Amino acid sequence: MPADLFNAREWRVFSDTLPDLIRLLRADQRGHGILQLVSETWDYLGEVHDRYARGDPFVWYNLGFNPELVLALDGVGNICIESQAVMQNTLGDPALCHEFIDAAESAGVPADCCSADKAAIGAIMRGLYPEPACVVGINTPCDSQVLSTQAMAELSGKPFFIVDVPYYDDERTVSHVARQLGELLPFLERHTHRRLDWDRLREVCALSNQAIELIWEWLDWRRMVPLAQSSKLVAFTLAHQILFCGSPRGVRIAEALAREARERHQRGERFYEERLRAVWYQDPVWTDMQIYDWMERELGLSVPIDVFGFYAHEGLIDTSTPESMLSGLARKLCKCQPMSRQFRGNIETYIADFMHMHQAFKADCGIFAGHVACKHAWGGIGLFREACRRADIPLLVFEFDMFDARVTSREAVQTELRRFVEEVVWPAKQRKLRKEMR
Amino acid sequence: MTAAIFDAAAGLLACPCNESIERAQSSGRGIIGYFCSYLPVELITAAGLVPVRLRGAGSLDSGPADVFMSSRTCTYVRHALSLVLQGKYDFLSGAVCLNTCDHVRRAFDLFRHKSGLKFLGFVSVPRNARESLYAYYRQEIENLRGALEKHFGVEIDRQALSRAIVLHNRVRKRLAQLDSLRAADDGPMGGADLLAATVAALVMAPEDFLSLSEDWLLKIRPEDGLPAPRARLILAGGELDEPGWVAAVESLGARVVGDSLCTGMRAHQSLVDEDGSDPLEALCRRYFFQVSCARMIGNFSDRYESLMRALRERRADGIIFQRLKFCDPWGGDGHNLRLRARQEGIPILVLEREYGMLNTGQLKTRVQAFLEMIESRAGRSAGGADEVRSHAG
Repeated sequence: MPADLFNAREWRVFSDTLPDLIRLLRADQRGHGILQLVSETWDYLGEVHDRYARGDPFVWYNLGFNPELVLALDGVGNICIESQAVMQNTLGDPALCHEFIDAAESAGVPADCCSADKAAIGAIMRGLYPEPACVVGINTPCDSQVLSTQAMAELSGKPFFIVDVPYYDDERTVSHVARQLGELLPFLERHTHRRLDWDRLREVCALSNQAIELIWEWLDWRRMVPLAQSSKLVAFTLAHQILFCGSPRGVRIAEALAREARERHQRGERFYEERLRAVWYQDPVWTDMQIYDWMERELGLSVPIDVFGFYAHEGLIDTSTPESMLSGLARKLCKCQPMSRQFRGNIETYIADFMHMHQAFKADCGIFAGHVACKHAWGGIGLFREACRRADIPLLVFEFDMFDARVTSREAVQTELRRFVEEVVWPAKQRKLRKEMR
Repeated sequence: MTAAIFDAAAGLLACPCNESIERAQSSGRGIIGYFCSYLPVELITAAGLVPVRLRGAGSLDSGPADVFMSSRTCTYVRHALSLVLQGKYDFLSGAVCLNTCDHVRRAFDLFRHKSGLKFLGFVSVPRNARESLYAYYRQEIENLRGALEKHFGVEIDRQALSRAIVLHNRVRKRLAQLDSLRAADDGPMGGADLLAATVAALVMAPEDFLSLSEDWLLKIRPEDGLPAPRARLILAGGELDEPGWVAAVESLGARVVGDSLCTGMRAHQSLVDEDGSDPLEALCRRYFFQVSCARMIGNFSDRYESLMRALRERRADGIIFQRLKFCDPWGGDGHNLRLRARQEGIPILVLEREYGMLNTGQLKTRVQAFLEMIESRAGRSAGGADEVRSHAG
């Protein structure tokens, strides 16, 4: 790890741009959500910097994990190894993410593996994260995590704890994971040299619950027709869970997102002329979030919900006892965490969540934005298509790479979307409306 | 390569069905297909059924599975599933899938929706082989036992399990015997022969394999030793059930003297304890704590040490690591293995492949270059080939 970690250009890109971006966003009096998200991300980076300067211990983990247990250890920093990929694409320089991917591939990570994880490995190879005291890996949401966590352990050389999430979607699974979280605690204490205070964990879980209730409220506002808030915001539920849940920062972000949606709706704002609504299933276009603006403006198509944004109603963490908290955290990881909920088990859960979102968010169609490396999703595409056909839901299926714009161009994605909307969904909706009027 | 095994096995391995399966069927025994080396096949045998590892044998077109799984998934699973969807596996009485990987998991969805198989079992194997997760695995195997008993109307009692354990241990011992012939300096068997044997053991009734392999042993003459190889290699990676692929490697003068493959000796190498009072416990422990597959997170160092042991004991000159395209778990292992091997100066060739005998020209070109590199390293050093081997130690 370089001594001048935060002078590296991969970090400097944030300090060079985020303060100006935040000032720019402040000019929009109504855009609390995006402003808070960016401000708190900047604040989080500052905290990482300060912890690093103080010599605080850090714990690394992969994207299927939530940080509550780490946050409950006073003075320990949390680092999700995929965070550079998301942040460079959305707030920094996507070209740097390409460099991470290329570095990982030249070190032997196969090209067909997930770019999120290739970027994570590339970022680790470049020494962009503060050295961890230990690392935690979880096998959700997909096989790609097997690759990234083992590479994380190998490259860091630090003690490694694995949380196993079984295939099933039952209470036995939750208990199995809760037991492992019980094992994880002494592991974290031993390697970070910080004691866990159960009261502190209770506070963290309460903050986590508070944020979740606000996310539910936010998503409820996004069900309304027309959508009063930008499509592109919804994907950030996952990032919120991975980095911020259990912290005051996480509550502030969720509160701002919900407040923005609520106020816009109450003011009767139309974000744009909405003609159609889609459930965006699979992966957001992290490389080019402006494509959502283009969809809204050019096609009249909004995305009120996507799989990264959907947070299932599976209850909150019961903070009454240590056991109930571990069980609640386990339930979050297995049954709520976006992607992990849908991707790790059988195809029925995957399809059922889509059907639920389609109905609850009053969508006209589905868009399967197929990240090329999501093998579990491509492996289920036939059954998913059949289910949509049976339910008479128009479905677009296309390939792209969510963190590597070199795989499919913006123009190619736009062509797919335009053709689908203009030749399939809009005519179908007009036919339906005519039929209803008769 | 010896015709005694390679050619004899060719017929057995050319398509999903074989004489052993037909014989079992005609005697009223059901056949159970499965995908992964974490399934204790003794359980199937103890139920009076024949376990047969699912393969894409003879499949030239994965189209029927591509419709459901796209072309972005593993060709091994797609070819195997294509055969199922085309009715080529209609002799199965059922199948057992595991959460081996995303591809097998999705294949299980398709088995449930499209295969028409009456019995479908599933085992969720924890992703890390540590003691605290073992109980979950054992419970899964007990659940599978219950499901088999209920569906097939049989009782899998201790005696039946013990008998099955002894039988499958005999298969493992026989394979170990053949493996020792492969490892010998002037041994009469090559890696292609051994892979033909290990795969044959996965697709036949165990008693038939024992009988056939006994015949092989009688035909193999120690005096028919193969010529000294250009290099002795260890073959590592996941699924590889095509002995012809190894034959292509060996056709360049190399010899695969050891392996760590899901379908090779890794799947057969450790015996189940026959002496304990709880045969199911012995069975589960053997499978859960075996030298792991790359799907097991956090056990890479064990796999690496096992590979290094093979390298030392077999005095190998280098490693060929092969991985099926789209396989993430073995992709991760490939990265880590390459990293460590390079740090330790061990020659390693990492190859990506599709299922079946495709791209053998490309394969030969790369292996040829690798062999030349090994020879060049050996030639430059005073100690010759031993110098390279010493790195392996």
